[in-house]
Amino acid sequence: MPKIPVEQLRPGMKLARPLENTSGMVLMAAGTELTEARISKIENMGVDSVYIDGPSRPARPKEELLAALEERFRKVGGNPRMALLKKAVQEHIEAMYG
Amino acid sequence: MAEMDPRALRSRVENISTIPTIPSVLKQLSTIIENPKISLNEISYFVSQDPALTTKILQMVNSALYGFPGRISSVNHAVMLLGLNVVKGLLLSVSVFEIMHKAMIGLREHSIGVAIASKVLGRMKGLKEPEEVFVAGLLHDVGKVILTLVWPEEYDRTVKEAEAAGIAIFDAERGRFSETHAAVAGWLAEKWHFPRKLCECIANHHRPQGSSLASLETAIVHTADVIVKARGIGYSGDRLVPEVNPGAWDTLGLSEADLREILKELEDSVEQTEEEFRS
Repeated sequence: MPKIPVEQLRPGMKLARPLENTSGMVLMAAGTELTEARISKIENMGVDSVYIDGPSRPARPKEELLAALEERFRKVGGNPRMALLKKAVQEHIEAMYG
Repeated sequence: MAEMDPRALRSRVENISTIPTIPSVLKQLSTIIENPKISLNEISYFVSQDPALTTKILQMVNSALYGFPGRISSVNHAVMLLGLNVVKGLLLSVSVFEIMHKAMIGLREHSIGVAIASKVLGRMKGLKEPEEVFVAGLLHDVGKVILTLVWPEEYDRTVKEAEAAGIAIFDAERGRFSETHAAVAGWLAEKWHFPRKLCECIANHHRPQGSSLASLETAIVHTADVIVKARGIGYSGDRLVPEVNPGAWDTLGLSEADLREILKELEDSVEQTEEEFRS
């Protein structure tokens, strides 16, 4: 779930985590769908960013992550158990870029 | 440094409170936890004296219980839900985290990752208390921190040596210290009166076949360690993914779908736990 800065919030996004004030009181539950009114309420609370549902996009390009994966498995890629694990990680990385 | 006598090493590790580089909060906590009759009230009292520690322990509690409805806001409540041993483990790992971050950059992220992957595996394999393997995951590499604090130069040389020779840090440690970080962590876990299963799983996380009482739990922590290294979360002294122990892997019998689920959960909760920890 990505953490989105308040200025990038748009109606229709859903909170991935409850929004709490400093004493831990829940102001908006997880799953709340954002509307213009709710976004301005969040702005007025002085919050910088909130967690939104959905996959986070990694900061590094996909090719870089996949190359690093190859390198990490350099010595064990031939082992069938490790090959299965490597394939799962590779698919996982590819899925993060949608 | 000539090869070290394992008994001397063990006695040094077991007397960590006399080592000047060990931070005072860990010394105090270690002394409290060494008392086998420690009560819930004593732990709560100790924690409540330190607001920063209280915040961090509750963050960890909520992360261990990721998915539990509502947040846990008191140490007493946490002990009721998780049991004294798990809370003790969380408390120790929280107090070690700061040193961990200084001792080896990335080791904290690695440890959180292994904790989360262990918990997911524990749940998949039907463990009654998956939070116990969560704790084992958090503490499995605590031996590296201790070795770094006690022998900073030697340990630094060990890491470089392993990297240059292309061998696992585990093997390089045995060459230089005669024992490994897994054994060191196992001694500490015993000294802190953790349940036998937890001690076994920490001490044997690199050779899961050595565990007799907790073979499933040990296979879980061992495999979680390999999965986290495969995903490249954090850094634990090894740049390359080690080969998984075939027995451990086959015991768990994970399908591709299982692996995908573990990786997904790992991604979500590591991000969140780290974020909370930094704030």
